[in-house]
Amino acid sequence: MTLDFSWLLDPLYQKWLLRGIGTTMLLSLLGMVLMFVIGIAGAALLHLKVRFLQSPVTIFVELFRNTPPLVQLFFLYFMLSEIGLTLTDPVTGGRIPLFTGFTCVVLSLGLYNGAIAVEIIRSGLLAVPAQTVEGARSLGYSRLQTFRYVELPIGLRMSIPPMTSNIVSLIKTSSQAVLVAVADIMYGATQIMLETFRNLEVMLLIWVIYLAIASLAVLVVRRIAAAFRIPGYGS
Amino acid sequence: MTDHQQSAPLIEMRDVHKSFGSTAVLKGVSLSVRDGGVVCIIGPSGSGKSTILRCINGLMTIDKGTIRVGSFAVETLKSDKQLVPLRHQVAMVFQQYNLFPHRTVLQNLTMAPVQVLGENPAAVRERALALLAKVRLTGKQHAYPGELSGGQQQRVAIARALAMQPKVILFDEVTAALDPEMVSEVLNVIRDLAREGMTCVLVTHEMRFAQEVADEVFFTDRGVIVEHGPPATIFQNPTDPRLKAFLDKVL
Ligand SMILES: Nc1ncnc2c1ncn2[C@@H]1O[C@H](COP(=O)(O)OP(=O)(O)OP(=O)(O)O)[C@@H](O)[C@H]1O
Ligand SMILES: [Mg+2]
Repeated sequence: MTLDFSWLLDPLYQKWLLRGIGTTMLLSLLGMVLMFVIGIAGAALLHLKVRFLQSPVTIFVELFRNTPPLVQLFFLYFMLSEIGLTLTDPVTGGRIPLFTGFTCVVLSLGLYNGAIAVEIIRSGLLAVPAQTVEGARSLGYSRLQTFRYVELPIGLRMSIPPMTSNIVSLIKTSSQAVLVAVADIMYGATQIMLETFRNLEVMLLIWVIYLAIASLAVLVVRRIAAAFRIPGYGS
Repeated sequence: MTDHQQSAPLIEMRDVHKSFGSTAVLKGVSLSVRDGGVVCIIGPSGSGKSTILRCINGLMTIDKGTIRVGSFAVETLKSDKQLVPLRHQVAMVFQQYNLFPHRTVLQNLTMAPVQVLGENPAAVRERALALLAKVRLTGKQHAYPGELSGGQQQRVAIARALAMQPKVILFDEVTAALDPEMVSEVLNVIRDLAREGMTCVLVTHEMRFAQEVADEVFFTDRGVIVEHGPPATIFQNPTDPRLKAFLDKVL
């Protein structure tokens, strides 16, 4: 068996691959932003025991954490296109769907990994020592101020290790985008395979690319963690 | 001073009761502290000493009785907002320091006056630096709590309490977690405060220190104050058998 990578020299395939990488990274980045918003908001509502919102948050978390993300993506895609919300394009005046495949993927990643993030951040908040919280309360900090200035900054730092795997999981899950016709890296790969039949080589390359993207993400998180490390605290 | 001798005490607890579930922890505690007074609370473990302190600054709600601090009726303060002026006046120092580990020493001192009291950051910073000098920690302002020794952390905690410019400081066994050689550096700071006229309520196991600084000593056992009086009486002529037994054990 010989591996043939000569197709990589084709500028068209290079363009597809690069565009795919760009789309995958953008999907992941936007998904992460949504993941963090959902994770922090959900954890805050649970941690502050906000009345009437605790059970909806718990139901949301269980619903999205414990079901396959692919099912969630398809459900979102079909449900949202069913509702058929559209926007008016300010330039052409035409109607464009509000929820494209791209939007659905970002939403789905944000919801799935966000549900996991809720639990991760909540455990981080629970790991903040009760004494630290009491110190804040004794200085007049309200429940909300204590959360904002003491519990959240410490709790988020504590949640960095499990959050790193969640981020990597999000990047991997983004490969589902191809199934709702978003031109991500997997989409580019599928196109190239259809034309060249070098399935093995293409997948090998895609494997390496995902590894590179995930490693880059881990590296960035490590940098952030180092910048926010608390001197003399924990390990 | 003599004009005010008949005036109301700064802290007055009357018949305070507090239970956790079915366990009654305070069963009718009454005590008063005059402005500028130094009061020590001693007693066996679990007798309710920490609970008394936590009730004074509203960290715990009480079931029955009244607590007055200055013009505040503590038991009527319910919301976080109502409690801010009380906590402005009543600061607390804890056994485990309870500092903010993610903030520098200086930030530990300036955070609450700026974020809670809304004071001017520049003025607070200046005051904080002066307080660090007072507790002999000049040069440590940019260190993090985790980089300091226990004695140093506890002095930061005292400076943090002072940064609120309180009228009263509650000390809850603040030397109990310290290595013996660090105890005196912390006690020295407290002694200075007491001499300067800061009102102090100290829960302590340092009997000699209590004897030295206190105007009045309260002995608690099983949720009641069994005996109280000037340190000379409490330590040299105790009357209650439980106090006698306790002193025999600790002295
Ligand atoms: N939040 C709480 N919930 C339930 N029980 C509590 C709580 N806080 C204190 N207690 C109980 O109340 C009793 C008195 O506690 P407290 O901390 O006031 O004692 P203490 O005199 O300070 O003891 P120590 O010298 O060990 O610090 C103890 O039996 C303790 O277990
Ligand atoms: Mg105690």
